[in-house]
Amino acid sequence: MLKMTNVTKKFGELTAVNNLSFEVEQGQVFGIAGPNGAGKSTLYNLITGLYPFEGSVTFNNGEIRGLPPHQIAKLGISRTFQIPQTFPSLSVEKSIGVGSHFGSRDGFEHDYVEKILRFVNLIDKRDSSTGQLNLLDKKMLMIGAALATKPRVLMLDEPMAGSNAKEIMKLMNLVQRINREMGITIIIIEHFMKVLTELTEKLLIIETGTEVCCGNPVDVTSDPRVIECYLGGNND
Amino acid sequence: MEHKRIAKLLAVIWSIVAVLPLFFGSTNFIMHILIMCLIWSVVASCWDLIMGFAGIFSFGQVAFFVIGAYASAIITAKFGIPPIFAVFLAGVIAAGIGILVGLPCLKLKGAYIALVTFAVHMILEPVLKGGIGRAIGTGGSRGILTIQPMNIFGYTFTSSEPVPYFYLMLFVAVICSGIILAVIKSHWGTAFLALKDAEEFASCLGVSAFKYKLMVFALTSFLTGVIGGFYAHYVGMLSTRMLGIDLFVTLMVILVIGGVGKFPGAIIGAFITIAINEMLSPLGSFRPITLGAMVVILVLLLPDGIVGMFEKIFLKKKKVRSLN
Repeated sequence: MLKMTNVTKKFGELTAVNNLSFEVEQGQVFGIAGPNGAGKSTLYNLITGLYPFEGSVTFNNGEIRGLPPHQIAKLGISRTFQIPQTFPSLSVEKSIGVGSHFGSRDGFEHDYVEKILRFVNLIDKRDSSTGQLNLLDKKMLMIGAALATKPRVLMLDEPMAGSNAKEIMKLMNLVQRINREMGITIIIIEHFMKVLTELTEKLLIIETGTEVCCGNPVDVTSDPRVIECYLGGNND
Repeated sequence: MEHKRIAKLLAVIWSIVAVLPLFFGSTNFIMHILIMCLIWSVVASCWDLIMGFAGIFSFGQVAFFVIGAYASAIITAKFGIPPIFAVFLAGVIAAGIGILVGLPCLKLKGAYIALVTFAVHMILEPVLKGGIGRAIGTGGSRGILTIQPMNIFGYTFTSSEPVPYFYLMLFVAVICSGIILAVIKSHWGTAFLALKDAEEFASCLGVSAFKYKLMVFALTSFLTGVIGGFYAHYVGMLSTRMLGIDLFVTLMVILVIGGVGKFPGAIIGAFITIAINEMLSPLGSFRPITLGAMVVILVLLLPDGIVGMFEKIFLKKKKVRSLN
């Protein structure tokens, strides 16, 4: 469904993503992990058209490299950001409406926005300003707005960051429901290995923009190379 | 502010303004000030749309106004096109230049956009005064000394009879404010606000930054160009003096007093600023200093302008009512 081939991104002399190739299949929950500065968020920025790069990214067999972000969103690739981005000038309902109005191939659908507001548990806060929301609600809002575009692939960038155990459970449950009930393919960047092993079917570990290993999460997390690079050595 | 409340506020403002000639109609000087208030209210509202709503720090609004004024004057003089059509053509020319200015700004952010757009403002004076300007009919340093007055259906609007021109300008200002309100209310307005608040996220939700930023440049420069044209046919002469710092600062003061991003604050700001400016005229050379000091005090006391202050009062009252 989403295939990256020999993708490289350089910022001056720094190589943020180095000749990376992987494929995400339809309906999959695909995890990406790696230490800070590994190039995970940069990878999202490349796929969503925010940065130019070398190599190829195909979505449903069509090349998306070079397309602007809004066109990629219309094709069905949506994302959230590590640091919650919201629209303080707009209400919660209008913010989710942005996704439906501009990103959905079906155009604005009031009933669908209503459905998403319930799905992300923000129906009671629909008229609130997004600036008044707490961190969890801001994350829910970002996910809701991304879902309002009716994506085929949803890319979540560290959705659990800064959350407590209860909030992590809520978010994990939401991710599973998005995948199972809505049939949306999910790519998730996360630091919590437990979350990744529970949620994902395939896990990619990267370090300094290079693939360390990729495969079944249980096998990957027990791989000595991953323990070495990600956990900083053997935990004996 | 909710759109319905903006519409109601606009209706109140324009209703009050519409009856002013009943009190001041016989005093040409006051009528002239009121006409200028209407003109600046449109320019400031356009500036507010691009800066306050779309978050684009464009400092080219005065330049688009001057382009519109010169374009309309030249079109009527050179091609014999009636002023009423010339002002719209002037708007189209200003919009075209607005798009050209907007294109490089798409790659820039914040202060850099301010620099590029202010550069247009700075370049305009030597262009209008120089060889290119003289070749297209700007009159060089001398300016344009005779501009055909506005004529609609055989009726000529002259500055010696300001009341009819006041109502013409009021009509234009009402139309322009209606357009701005419609834009704010529409999905354009939502796109502007989303791009202002979080451009990357908005783009990843399908908002085309390219399309909407160019649209706001085109629309605001069109309306500013049109009102520039009306200004030219009202005053009857043009020079590059308008590109001096005075008008630029006055428009900024209008925005600050009205409230940036608080439409229709710019309209209220225009009337208050121009009125204060005129009232301070006996102070002579101390006038700009006094006005500047007042702006500093206002910014400190009312950072969101007059409309922002009323919004806060309204929200407080609403909270008290809901608590009761």
